[in-house]
Amino acid sequence: MRFTLNGRELDIPSAFAEDRLLWLLRDHFFLNGPKYGCGIGACGACVIHLDGEAQRSCLLMARDVAGRSVVTLEHLGAGHDSGLHPVQKAWIDASVPQCGYCQNGQIMTAAALLAAKPKATARDISAAMDDVICRCGTQQRIRTAVVAAQTSIARRSR
Amino acid sequence: MMLSRRRLLKALGWAGAGLTAIAGPAYALAPWPALPHRKAPSADDAAAWVSLRPDGFIELVLPRAEIGQGIAVSFRQIVAEETGFPLERVAAIHPRTDRLPPTRATVGSDSIKDFGPLLAKASAALAAALKQDGVDSAAPPSGGWAAFVAKPRILTAAAIDAARPVSFNRAAARRVVGKPAATDQIRAIVTGDAPLYADDVRLPGMVFAAALRAPRLGATLGSIDDAAARAVPGYLGLHLIKTQAYVAAASRGSLERCIAAVRAAWVGGNVAGDVIARSIDIDSGLSRGALEHVIVQSGTLSERFDIDLRLDVPMAAHGSMEPRTAVARFDQHGRLEIWTGTQDVTFVRAFVAKAMGLSSDRVVVHGCRVGGGFGGKMLCAQELDAALLAQLLKRPVKVQWTRIDEFREAFHRPPSSHRIRARLTSDGLLDSWHHAFRSGHVIFTSAAMGTALQFATSFVGDPGVSRGAVPPYASAGTRVEFEDVRLPVHTGPWRGLGAAPNIWAIETAIDALARKRREDGVAFRRRLIAPQWPRLGRALERVAATANWPALKSSPDLAYGVACGIYKDMSYAAVIAEVKRSRGSMRVTRLWCAHDCGVIINPDQVRAQVEGNLVWGLGMALHEELGVVDGHVGATSSADYSVPRYSDVPEMIIDLVDAGDASSGAGETAIVAATAAITNAIAAMTGASVTRLPWRNQAA
Repeated sequence: MRFTLNGRELDIPSAFAEDRLLWLLRDHFFLNGPKYGCGIGACGACVIHLDGEAQRSCLLMARDVAGRSVVTLEHLGAGHDSGLHPVQKAWIDASVPQCGYCQNGQIMTAAALLAAKPKATARDISAAMDDVICRCGTQQRIRTAVVAAQTSIARRSR
Repeated sequence: MMLSRRRLLKALGWAGAGLTAIAGPAYALAPWPALPHRKAPSADDAAAWVSLRPDGFIELVLPRAEIGQGIAVSFRQIVAEETGFPLERVAAIHPRTDRLPPTRATVGSDSIKDFGPLLAKASAALAAALKQDGVDSAAPPSGGWAAFVAKPRILTAAAIDAARPVSFNRAAARRVVGKPAATDQIRAIVTGDAPLYADDVRLPGMVFAAALRAPRLGATLGSIDDAAARAVPGYLGLHLIKTQAYVAAASRGSLERCIAAVRAAWVGGNVAGDVIARSIDIDSGLSRGALEHVIVQSGTLSERFDIDLRLDVPMAAHGSMEPRTAVARFDQHGRLEIWTGTQDVTFVRAFVAKAMGLSSDRVVVHGCRVGGGFGGKMLCAQELDAALLAQLLKRPVKVQWTRIDEFREAFHRPPSSHRIRARLTSDGLLDSWHHAFRSGHVIFTSAAMGTALQFATSFVGDPGVSRGAVPPYASAGTRVEFEDVRLPVHTGPWRGLGAAPNIWAIETAIDALARKRREDGVAFRRRLIAPQWPRLGRALERVAATANWPALKSSPDLAYGVACGIYKDMSYAAVIAEVKRSRGSMRVTRLWCAHDCGVIINPDQVRAQVEGNLVWGLGMALHEELGVVDGHVGATSSADYSVPRYSDVPEMIIDLVDAGDASSGAGETAIVAATAAITNAIAAMTGASVTRLPWRNQAA
């Protein structure tokens, strides 16, 4: 079984085929971006992009991604200035993270939303970000950063 | 040895073959647990914190855990300020026991207050030593850094004591301190390009293990059968250590399948939720007379009251996004190394060493970035499990709690119940204030202390339970009393400790008195605040000005509330909340906060802490409640425990007061005022005090 991970075509080892995708990414490919938070898709810490869509890697089996393309936080900034996607850059500029553990899910969710809906309204943003829990209380800064990233993406595509 | 092992296995009814157990000297749980290190840091300790590296960086071995409070960057700023090195050339490494003298836990919002000034002195002493050797900037000396660093430069306590740092002097011209800077390692956080947390530690040959968990509080293992698990690829056996069973496997997927395949029967254990409610019931406590611990008794109490409120606070979870995780391995010399996200590397080392019969110099604990602590990661749990299994399996082992473990096995904020009776004089001063409360333990947590030790502490009263209970308001007669009650669930420190529930109770009662007099909540508090707390009055004034309090107009579905509070007699906060009602539910739409923690090292990180505290206050007011259902702690997943989400969080307008007072702490301050500001807004709208947290629509 093969799949594309962060732009490279790779094997899914048979020992991992029946595992959660999250374990394949963390324990076989040693990626740090997607995190274990709840294991039931409720917190969002493990979000990855599957064919461009935000998905919870704790709810997918490794075999589910055969023939498909997975992008993790590590690869989100590929091809962008200084290796940072506009969302990542906005996150740094707004000094969003406190403990940082949930921020993978926040960033990957926001990036997928803005890619799908560049003109996302405040309501769209709430609907997407409400499903990603942050316990430290960084929500106000997340709001600032998502709006800043939206503006920066819009300016770039003009 | 075999006999005792066999007897133990027999007693437990173990059926599984291929079972290993340790019941001998390798694991002898001491009758008294290791105790946490409590001493304040000394100049001798500080000598270990900063040094010059051969690559021309100053290395800062953090004496505090980075738990999201931004201490790493704030401490780097202090070092940069004192040494003249640019911030980028000061590298922080997380606490590790082989590089630090014993250091007390990162708790109580004391890092800047108790460690910052000493770090500034050590850094200034290092700068002086470098200058003496001809380096007074970050430019490499002729011959390069490596040759320069080869000359040892040992800081002495005398040199550190004599140093004259500028970081905490607001009048000094400061380059780095006092300016905003984002949290350390922010690039790695937003890109994932470097390991940060304990779960990012992967060692060659590492395997995974987990404890088998009882389905009910207090249940013990009856029998166990791993026949089906033995057929699962990657299964590395069932292991009994004392009375705890563990499953090990080559991968996390395999571990999940093996645990599901193990058949275990559990005996006994069942805690009814109402046992807890009855244990802490304040009114039955008061009906038996005075409570165990009286912390204030002055003047005489009135027999009659203007208000008589019964207030209830539920159990609550820390809900750190990072579940407890540790990796342990024994190296070829038999030295044990542990990587963990902990608030206390010193305690983890002491605890593991004692439990495993190792001398503490044979154990190294590497602190990792902590994915949220909030008081929850100051004991030792998964670290010992990982170490025991690494010893047994002779391989590195990672142990990670599941989210269910986080709810069922961790300790929580204790529930408490309060009675406040107060009376005003005819001219609106406090004539009588009586606050009595009962709560589960906080600092004398059952998660770390056996029954005997907890009983021994009952003569002193748990200072975590009583934190914040002395009101800042002057009263002719005052009595504050409490009881700490042993509960059948583990309770312990949670952000703000007792100050969060106690000050919510106080501010609810004060607000009820103001409403009774039809007096403005800000003016009423300003009048009653005792003269020794001028900074609290100033915080109230500042927040009233920022929010333009006199001009805020309420309507049937829109109201405002105010509250204030002091944390550990050192930090001050006042909060105004705007609450809107729509379709029976309450939404917080704006929060204003004035916050005073003295001289600020990093305003961006202080602001972040205030934001976090306001969101936690919102959680206390409207969301968070943990109960006991079907014999175990009620929530079993993130889906069952409500914390504020993105769209719940309102605009927060924060005013950082820095009038040059000594630096204190920001990690647990604003929560003490935020909760009551929100519930007082609801009371202003409904006309009735919110007496039970979280607020629920009674009609619904």
